[in-house]
Amino acid sequence: MTENITKPGGKDIGTLLIAAIFVGLGLLTLHDVGGYSDSDSVVFPTTVAYALIFFSVLVAIYSWLRPNLENGFGSGDWWRRLLLVASMIAACLMMPYTGFLPATAVAFAGSLIAARHEGWGIRSAAVFAGAGAVIMGAFYALFRFALGVPLP
Amino acid sequence: MDWGNLANALTLANLALALFGVVAGTVIGSIPGLSATMAVAVLVPITFAMEPASALILLGAIYTGAIYGGAYSAILLNTPGTPSAIATTFDGYPMAKRGDGDLAVAIACYASVFGGLVGALALLLLAPPLSTVALAFGPVEYLWLSVFGLSLIASLSTGNVLKGLAGGAFGLLLSCVGVAEISADIRLTFGSSTMIGGIEVVGALIGLYCIPVLIDLVATPERHLKVEDEVRSVRFREGALIAWKSRINLLRSSVIGTVIGILPGAGGSVAGLVAYSEAKRTARPGQKFGEGEPDGIMATEAANNATVGGGFIPTLVLGIPGTPPDAVILGALLVQGVRTGPALFDGGGSIVYTFIFGLFIATILMLPTGLLIGRYAYKTIVTIPKAILVPTVGFMTIIGTYAIRNSISDVIIMIGLGSVGWVLSRFGFAASPIVLGLILGPIAEQGFVQAWIIGEATGNLTGMFFGRPISLAIIAFTILTLIYPVIQSRRARRLARTQANSND
Repeated sequence: MTENITKPGGKDIGTLLIAAIFVGLGLLTLHDVGGYSDSDSVVFPTTVAYALIFFSVLVAIYSWLRPNLENGFGSGDWWRRLLLVASMIAACLMMPYTGFLPATAVAFAGSLIAARHEGWGIRSAAVFAGAGAVIMGAFYALFRFALGVPLP
Repeated sequence: MDWGNLANALTLANLALALFGVVAGTVIGSIPGLSATMAVAVLVPITFAMEPASALILLGAIYTGAIYGGAYSAILLNTPGTPSAIATTFDGYPMAKRGDGDLAVAIACYASVFGGLVGALALLLLAPPLSTVALAFGPVEYLWLSVFGLSLIASLSTGNVLKGLAGGAFGLLLSCVGVAEISADIRLTFGSSTMIGGIEVVGALIGLYCIPVLIDLVATPERHLKVEDEVRSVRFREGALIAWKSRINLLRSSVIGTVIGILPGAGGSVAGLVAYSEAKRTARPGQKFGEGEPDGIMATEAANNATVGGGFIPTLVLGIPGTPPDAVILGALLVQGVRTGPALFDGGGSIVYTFIFGLFIATILMLPTGLLIGRYAYKTIVTIPKAILVPTVGFMTIIGTYAIRNSISDVIIMIGLGSVGWVLSRFGFAASPIVLGLILGPIAEQGFVQAWIIGEATGNLTGMFFGRPISLAIIAFTILTLIYPVIQSRRARRLARTQANSND
């Protein structure tokens, strides 16, 4: 075990929450296996669910007794993190309607804005947009035409 | 064996094919989402018009190059280019973060070449006798092999073993999603049709390893990797020296890779993880695995490239593919009209021996090409602005995951798992135990259920699980792997106490 940084009264809420979610997932699995028709399908997920519940309870007890207060999301801009993930998911949702390239252009632009910390000018925006178009075009051509992947 | 076959392999056309195969395989393997299987599969059609031996040389070169190529993104982006390179991330990325990415790339190249040569040598000299090893492995041996793999969770969970075990169980649970391995029950989809196909392992790997890195990268303005004032070329001399010092580790890992490559279905990812565990178990004092230890990279890369030669043994001798790319190559051989089996080494010996020598040549060619490509890959990754690196890698994760099954659901699952993985990692739940559970889950389940059915049918369940010699050997290794770190740390504590007493 690590040497946890602890202080009296402090709790590692994140770890406790994750352990509780894992226990919930285990219970959900035990509920789900009740509907399987073949007993061969039941044994493994049941065993795994019990193991998940058991270890998660131990994690919760250990974390309650010796919380590691170093755990947490740390510093950094939340809007950038969220923009990155949201733009990638938006691209997936758009893909069936707009096709691959327009959808992934949204993800590319979102990630670009999220990752650029130095500020923007017309020239830098044009350079990054051009570079992005070349990179996406090259990979699209590689997958679509050279590797024969049926991109939407 | 006829040395004329060596001359056949050394024709200009075959050398050109081997070089092309290694370069193409390395480039494809380095792109997250494009596995060695895919590299071989997409390039198979161009071999149909070739001589069988030349076709085999090209496919073998692509395969070996792709397995090595996976190390680049594992080291420089913390994203295994192929599943075989999972364990390369454990020490490769920490090395790159502290400014030794160039050295890590060189070490990976040497280890891959060494492992590839050992695997090819085993194929040349020991193919028929070693293929019988594969036949001795039944379902219960696969079960224990996967349990052995799962025991690595204890060593991979640097920091908190309990969280590692919970993460491993979570990974095993994820492996149950979709249609059941043995029967046709649909499990843990909760009515969602997008989950019926299950969680695709390569997509999950990309998500769990790559997305957290991207999320961390965008949050702060700091550089991606630590860079010296002047970007150096790949440190091949220093790398060679380190590789030579760890020759025992290289040899042991290569043998592990060869043997695991022989086992149908196990593949490079299992070989890399087992070799990593053994390297960690036998670590010298002061070696810190998981924090940028070169021996960790060498063990994984030697083992995963050794599976290439090892996997060809059952493929060519028994017609049973040792690894997924071998299955594709077996299909290509059937198209060529080549019948695999022991007779291939007698009657059709010229084809198989020309191919084996071709595999040697391709592996040797991997040394200069790997170091050269590695040099440019490293320079590109460390000098590229973050504002280009992040969207490019993000784009590659989407296109790479989509390409595996042409499924948008896989991409959404990849992003979702990656985001969950980031949250978990922030609270001490590492990605590696989850990935281990996800990969080994299906092997463990299939082995367990099949062994249970056979044991019940023969009325000897205990004997089935605990009465077979190979199983007992694997169980012994598993117990040893689990208790050895405890013994080692107790011994170190006792030594420290003795030294402290003597100083007093």
